[in-house]
Amino acid sequence: MVPLLPNPVLALPELILAGTGMLLLMVGAFRRTDATRLCVWLALLALVAALVVLAAVTPPRSVTFHGQFVADHFALFMKVLVLLGSGLTLVMSLDYIEREGMARFEYPALIVFATLGMLMMVSANDLISLYIGLELQSLSLYVVAAFKRDEVRSTEAGLKYFVLGALSSGMLLYGASLVYGFAGSTNFDILARVLGQIGAAGPSVGLIVGIVFVMAGLAFKVSAVPFHMWTPDVYEGAPTPVTAFFSLAPKIAAIALFTRAMAGPFAPMVGQWQQIVVFVSLASMILGALAAINQTNIKRLMAYSSIGHVGYALVGLAAGTQSGVRGVMIYMATYLPMNLGTFACILAMRRDGKMVESIADLAGLGRSQPKVAWAFAIFMFSMVGLPPLAGFFGKLFVFLPAIEAGLYGLAVVGMLASVVGAYYYIRIVKIMFMDEPARPFDQPDAQVAGVMALSAVVTLLFFAACWPIFAGAAAAAKALQIG
Amino acid sequence: MTLALIVLIPFLAAPLMPLAARAGRGVCALAAGLATSLSLVLLLADAPAAFAGADHRWSAAWLPQLGLSFSFAVDGLAFFFAFLILAIGVLIVAYARFYLGPADPVGKFYAYLSLFQGSMLGIVLSDNILLLLVFWELTSLSSFLLIGYWNHLPQSRQGARMALIVTGGGGFALIAGMLLLGEIAGSYQLGDILLQGDAIKASPLYLPALVLILLGAFTKSAQFPFHFWLPHAMAAPTPVSAYLHSATMVKAGIFLLARLWPVLAGTDAWFLVVSLTGLATMAMAAWIACFKDDLKALLAFSTVSHLGLVTMLLGIGTPMAAAAGVLHVLNHATFKAALFMSVGIVDHETGTRDLRRLGGLLWLMPVTGSLALIACAAMAGVPPLNGFLSKELMLEAAAGTTYLGLPWLFPLTAVAGAALSVAYTARLAFVAFVLGPRHELPNHPHDPPVGMWAPVAVLVAAAIAVGAWPGLAEGFVAAAARATTGGALTELHLALWHGFTPALAMSLTATVGGLALFWQYGPIEKARAALPRPEAKRMFDAAFDALVRTAERAIAATHTQVLHHHASVAVIAIAAAAGAWFLLAPHAPGDRAALPATVPAVAAWLVLAVVAAALVLRHRDRLQAVILTSVVGLIVSLTFLQFSAPDLALTQVSVEVVTTILMLLALNLLPKETPAETGAGWRGFDAAVAIAVGLGAGGLAYALMTREVATISAYHVAQSKPAGGGTNVVNVILVDFRGFDTFGEIIVLGIAALAIYALLDSALRGAAARRLAAMRPGEESRDAHPLLLVVATRVLLPLAITAGAYIFVRGHNMPGGGFIAGLVVAIALIMQYMASGYAWAAARARFDAHLMIGGGVLIAGLTGAGAWLFGRPFLTSTFGHLRLPLIGEVELASAAAFDLGVFLTVVGTVMLSLATISRVEERAEGPKPPPPHRAPRPRRRAEAEPARSLVPTEGG
Repeated sequence: MVPLLPNPVLALPELILAGTGMLLLMVGAFRRTDATRLCVWLALLALVAALVVLAAVTPPRSVTFHGQFVADHFALFMKVLVLLGSGLTLVMSLDYIEREGMARFEYPALIVFATLGMLMMVSANDLISLYIGLELQSLSLYVVAAFKRDEVRSTEAGLKYFVLGALSSGMLLYGASLVYGFAGSTNFDILARVLGQIGAAGPSVGLIVGIVFVMAGLAFKVSAVPFHMWTPDVYEGAPTPVTAFFSLAPKIAAIALFTRAMAGPFAPMVGQWQQIVVFVSLASMILGALAAINQTNIKRLMAYSSIGHVGYALVGLAAGTQSGVRGVMIYMATYLPMNLGTFACILAMRRDGKMVESIADLAGLGRSQPKVAWAFAIFMFSMVGLPPLAGFFGKLFVFLPAIEAGLYGLAVVGMLASVVGAYYYIRIVKIMFMDEPARPFDQPDAQVAGVMALSAVVTLLFFAACWPIFAGAAAAAKALQIG
Repeated sequence: MTLALIVLIPFLAAPLMPLAARAGRGVCALAAGLATSLSLVLLLADAPAAFAGADHRWSAAWLPQLGLSFSFAVDGLAFFFAFLILAIGVLIVAYARFYLGPADPVGKFYAYLSLFQGSMLGIVLSDNILLLLVFWELTSLSSFLLIGYWNHLPQSRQGARMALIVTGGGGFALIAGMLLLGEIAGSYQLGDILLQGDAIKASPLYLPALVLILLGAFTKSAQFPFHFWLPHAMAAPTPVSAYLHSATMVKAGIFLLARLWPVLAGTDAWFLVVSLTGLATMAMAAWIACFKDDLKALLAFSTVSHLGLVTMLLGIGTPMAAAAGVLHVLNHATFKAALFMSVGIVDHETGTRDLRRLGGLLWLMPVTGSLALIACAAMAGVPPLNGFLSKELMLEAAAGTTYLGLPWLFPLTAVAGAALSVAYTARLAFVAFVLGPRHELPNHPHDPPVGMWAPVAVLVAAAIAVGAWPGLAEGFVAAAARATTGGALTELHLALWHGFTPALAMSLTATVGGLALFWQYGPIEKARAALPRPEAKRMFDAAFDALVRTAERAIAATHTQVLHHHASVAVIAIAAAAGAWFLLAPHAPGDRAALPATVPAVAAWLVLAVVAAALVLRHRDRLQAVILTSVVGLIVSLTFLQFSAPDLALTQVSVEVVTTILMLLALNLLPKETPAETGAGWRGFDAAVAIAVGLGAGGLAYALMTREVATISAYHVAQSKPAGGGTNVVNVILVDFRGFDTFGEIIVLGIAALAIYALLDSALRGAAARRLAAMRPGEESRDAHPLLLVVATRVLLPLAITAGAYIFVRGHNMPGGGFIAGLVVAIALIMQYMASGYAWAAARARFDAHLMIGGGVLIAGLTGAGAWLFGRPFLTSTFGHLRLPLIGEVELASAAAFDLGVFLTVVGTVMLSLATISRVEERAEGPKPPPPHRAPRPRRRAEAEPARSLVPTEGG
């Protein structure tokens, strides 16, 4: 007997966000004056509520909505990161959107809908729900990227993102239909069972090609090489808080989705997809390092940096083991504070009321605003992976499983790519502390300063308080099927 | 616990330093000194255990999943290094108290110094190699802070950054190497690893691990070819140079080599790489040191040379050589720290470090001068000072070394290195301190306060004591050497006089040669200046520039900001990935029987191919593109028909008609042509990519179609009637099996219509409206609403609506259904708009399109929810039969109500989209056209107007 109604409690965080998103639209449409600030606060409230509910209702592993939706520890871990990323970037954008003429109520609503899509991606237990979550997220993001619609760069970013995103969605769908055609189901649990029973003859070519296409679509969403081309333009063109948002929550959700798909239903085919992940990871690390060297725009630099970070996170996935998956999650957990903080610093780059984005503008920040400069330096060193900052642990947790899995070349090349990466991160520190000061920046907004300080403390003291994160990640990795 | 405290105290002390500095400079220095001393006392308490070879370990779990733990252990080697770090640390703290000027922020300095000290202690005391790595990188970081401390000097900035990149980068190599090492040994505990020497050396991963670890060690210890960063780091304040670059940080690489000696040394690879690197570094750096005029630069290269010496000794691989290396670490730390501090005093007092300006300082500052001279003597290896002891041992080890069948290489180079070392020491000692003043000095130098020279005196005293009474240090060094060699060293006996040995002869030769070099310094210097000199830093910069330029070029070539390139990269990548799999798989076609090739099928296929090709070629002309696309759609629907899917064909045709009409209406507002965006070259490239991808997709389809594949259609065909109550499988799937999807789809349709409305409606206001109004009308038929068309459509309307109703009702069993019915009715209504004009049709519309969309979705939703009343899940359908007059037996499924919702939504969507577009069109046409049912009258414009264009005539 099919249950009359799916168990909605498991999806309560999602329902809260969905309700709030629609409520925001109503509030914005019917409240004539100045609804933006109210909407932002409502959105934040919803994100916090979702976070609280999430922690309260997650059972060990339950499936609902006819197997479309799964609530487990993996989802819990990643959703917490996603919600934190969304919420904190929204906090940071509060003053920015008012100053830059972006104060429209659709902004928080779109962020809420995008976040809803991400939560659904993380909890997807079916290729269909995967796609729906992904598209809900992507469609919201396309609009947000072009949110400064009077600015050519922003609209161009949105349009490019949309066209390429549509291309990748097409690939994903094509792959999903092939998988469905050859495996007979879109449900992750059934797929895992069916694929696990494939005998010595190996999976059919159609299935493999299908998985390749699915991976291509997912690689686009995580902006891994060679599907990364949109990233620099979009990061540079989108309004800065939006770029911050892009680099965090969607990336975390997409990595989660990638991980769940590969380590879940496709886990029995690890032999087939491992090489692809290794290649994508290597290419991303190398390109991220080399391409960032010459950038003069800090947002563009962060785009390449994020490509590199995705490469590192995928090292863990490439290992194809449970500890590798754990590494991916810890990597994202360390990526969150350091990247969030970096963007807080970038948002603080404002001179005479106008945003500046050139790296050279940071000159002498160490003397004019030592606190911001120190925070920035902490984030940069963490991105390099210097211990005892958070970034080091992320790298350690992905490289160890890779070595255990015998992927020595991947680990060694990854380390060497870190050296090149160190060059451009440290260049920023050098410019801040050692170059002749340019004119000082304006005082950062209170919210931006707060997020910056919080991120700096977390990045700096990560080593002291990381046990719950590691334990959570370990429990989460167990929730997936991979051995 | 005390072990952890030794490391922890400096870290705890660091943040207190800026606070202590508020109470005064002296207080701050005192606090730093106290913290260091406290660690030292704790360390000394461990001395007996360490000397006895007992294991003293302390461990606390940190990340047990990773094998990372807070583990500390002290043995002879760890004690040896920790003692050097702390003892010299105390002296440096005292020295810096007097060295730093009043403007220098002492709190910051001592804080960084404490951090650095803690990190160094961490390296030498760690019993876990991951923990060691953490501290290793921390030393890079804290030394960066220390070197960059005087950040107003440009050399200081550059030096700091280069030091960090080289040592930090080497650190990453080391991480990789250590991870490999741990992987081989199965543990990251140093104690466990050290027991597995044979297993490690036998492992296939030994070589990569060795290379990576050596990279880390060599960069840290400034070995050739990474030696260049050290002299440039000398821009740091002198106490920092003395501490980091003589006694501690650069010794971290040496420590690592010594620490891992039992598991890594003894192989050919180790010997060939390590000993030669050390030898080359020793000779080359000594040569460069001879010609440096800046005292600190001279000492820096001398340090590099001595580090090379130790590396060479460790590389030789015999226990005795390793013991000599350990001894030299001690000796070098004492005399080099003393010399750095002396040079700091000279700099402080005279205001210059330039050898060409200094002279006769011994007579101006006798205490400092004497101490410096003794330290120089130790460095040159003059008996009875400590440098002599280790030099003898070094020469002895070199004399017994045959490298690749060359017995002379090591002895000769070692003697040359020693001679050069004598030469530069002599130059330092005689030119700066002994020979008379040659120039006016900036200041009037005199001996500094006792606090500044006392640390030097302590070190010099140690140098004398160890040299004169080697027994004093014997136990200390022997314990370290035993730990280094893993117990292979049985006995260490240090003595000044070993009798007449080859080493003594070599030593004498070196001394004489060195003095001769000093004697002939002028001509040699000239000769050297005439030779081309490779400079490592310039090469490093050039290499980095090359990397940067390569990266720039590669990125500029591939990362244009052109969307079209981005898309092609993604497409090529996916095609390559799929192609690779294809190549690996069997390519034989399947064995499913082919269908007969009928004439209509082939003809349709050919038309399809021609039309598709024409579309690609003509796509810039928008009208043609739309027409050609609709032909493609038509042929697709014929294909459906061919394969017995009349329902699909019907749907496809109606959809084609509606979309084509809507697109044509929209085209009216757009330019006729899409501008060309790429040149012929790119188009050719794109064509190649497209053909490749097309072939791939075609091949995939072919492979699938030629094989028997279990499809899901059998289930639906079988279940359509019993479960859904209908024989039209497509319709049953739409409204029953996949009812939920359809429900979602009609919602999407409705939203899409609303979106068109919202987007275009706003175009009727503001800037867009002005642009529309300014649009120049183009050539048009004089008769906008031909009478024949008007009449025909009006007659057709009731027929079409009847047909729609018929299609709707029979849909459940025969081709038809709500979706098609909706399209048919919508087409009939569109025709009214087209024939009679918007105003006429809109005035006669009875139903609001919004209402139809909303109502349709509502009906469908309520039908679905109705199932709940019967205790069934959402959208469960039921059916019964009803006999109607005229029509016959009609099946009344709950799905039919759902279908009604679909019907209404489709009609509403099409009408709303159309109405919106029409309104915009109307606006573009300027003043209201005359009512269409009246006789057409001549239009007022247009005779000589060019084609309609979006370009506004003014302002816009």
